[in-house]
Amino acid sequence: MKHLPKHIRPRWRYLAVEIEADPDADIDRGAFQRALWYAAGNLLGDVGSADADLTVFGFGFADGVGEAIVRARRGETDPARAALACIDRVDGQPIGLVVRGISGTVRACEESYLRDRSPDLTEDSVAFADDQRSAIRRDDVAEISLPDGFVAATELDLH
Amino acid sequence: MYEAVAAYPAGDSTVSRQAKTAADYGYDGLVVRTRNAAFDADAISDRYGIDVVGGIEIDAADPEAAAGAVGNHRPECPVLLVRGGTDALNRYAVEADRVDVLSRPLAGDGDFNHVLARAAATNRVFIEFDLGVVLRKSGGPRVQALKGLRKLRELVEQYDTPFVVSATADSHRELRAPRELRAVGEQIGFRAEQITAGLEAWGEIVARNRERSEERFIEPGVRRGRYEP
Repeated sequence: MKHLPKHIRPRWRYLAVEIEADPDADIDRGAFQRALWYAAGNLLGDVGSADADLTVFGFGFADGVGEAIVRARRGETDPARAALACIDRVDGQPIGLVVRGISGTVRACEESYLRDRSPDLTEDSVAFADDQRSAIRRDDVAEISLPDGFVAATELDLH
Repeated sequence: MYEAVAAYPAGDSTVSRQAKTAADYGYDGLVVRTRNAAFDADAISDRYGIDVVGGIEIDAADPEAAAGAVGNHRPECPVLLVRGGTDALNRYAVEADRVDVLSRPLAGDGDFNHVLARAAATNRVFIEFDLGVVLRKSGGPRVQALKGLRKLRELVEQYDTPFVVSATADSHRELRAPRELRAVGEQIGFRAEQITAGLEAWGEIVARNRERSEERFIEPGVRRGRYEP
């Protein structure tokens, strides 16, 4: 269909979202989009989520850190932010996320708020909780593998 | 703005990781609810620029046990929380002026009413709004929690009861930035200023108790001055 003339096209806002999960988590765009729709549906209802019209635009995730650009209608960014905050798992994997900023174009959003975090992971053996344990380290944080799952720590906890 | 979190061994992240994330999200301070979490508050605040305060969340089965724990731990900790969840515990917590915060009053089969709201206001016991259930539950339990939050909000507004707001994060992934909490709060019927006030109230509690533990402090309004022998 012929696209709308410029002055009656919907106006969009783009939310820069930073995602964090376990280093062995596997999340793709589709799964994140599904989680977002569920969260919006549950929190805002059908009417609210249709208004906000949330779509995942850009998505990148590797080694436990990721970034996404989420499109929402202008004027609906607060409900969009609330819906995003209510995503606590994607495919059963717990994630943390934060909205870094909001822009009017995808490009401004990427350039201003997303900084392509380098997931330079190193596997290491560290002393934690009175024992040597294997850990995955990135910058100054470490995910330490304990018998019942990972514990998230920083350099300050390692001896 | 402060946030109160559980940390390893009760949660999945250590205090320093929670503090790093909280500082990144724009919080000024962090209250640790876990008693046996090991951390060096000064090292963490030097590194990440956030005020880390050790607190204790007392999770007792009945008021007698809670009273014992309050007596034991009050002198050593700047923030003392009592976890509610039964009518008896809620009542005990709001009537004890040694308690700072009554946390999760509506979890389990606990209930809250105008009598407790008034008592909490008299004794300056802060009531916690637990946004964690809104963020992490769905379906029936979430509806129940929202119903509870609304009831609690109406009582708190009516009787001017002091309150705090928290996402009750057990790991750094469950933390949410203040703006996100405000957005969620607005969706579920709070005003944005209420959420901000609730987050700032943790700081008030910390400041109040730090002042009380000073050597010069005798009672509210009375300090040992320069001319005291």
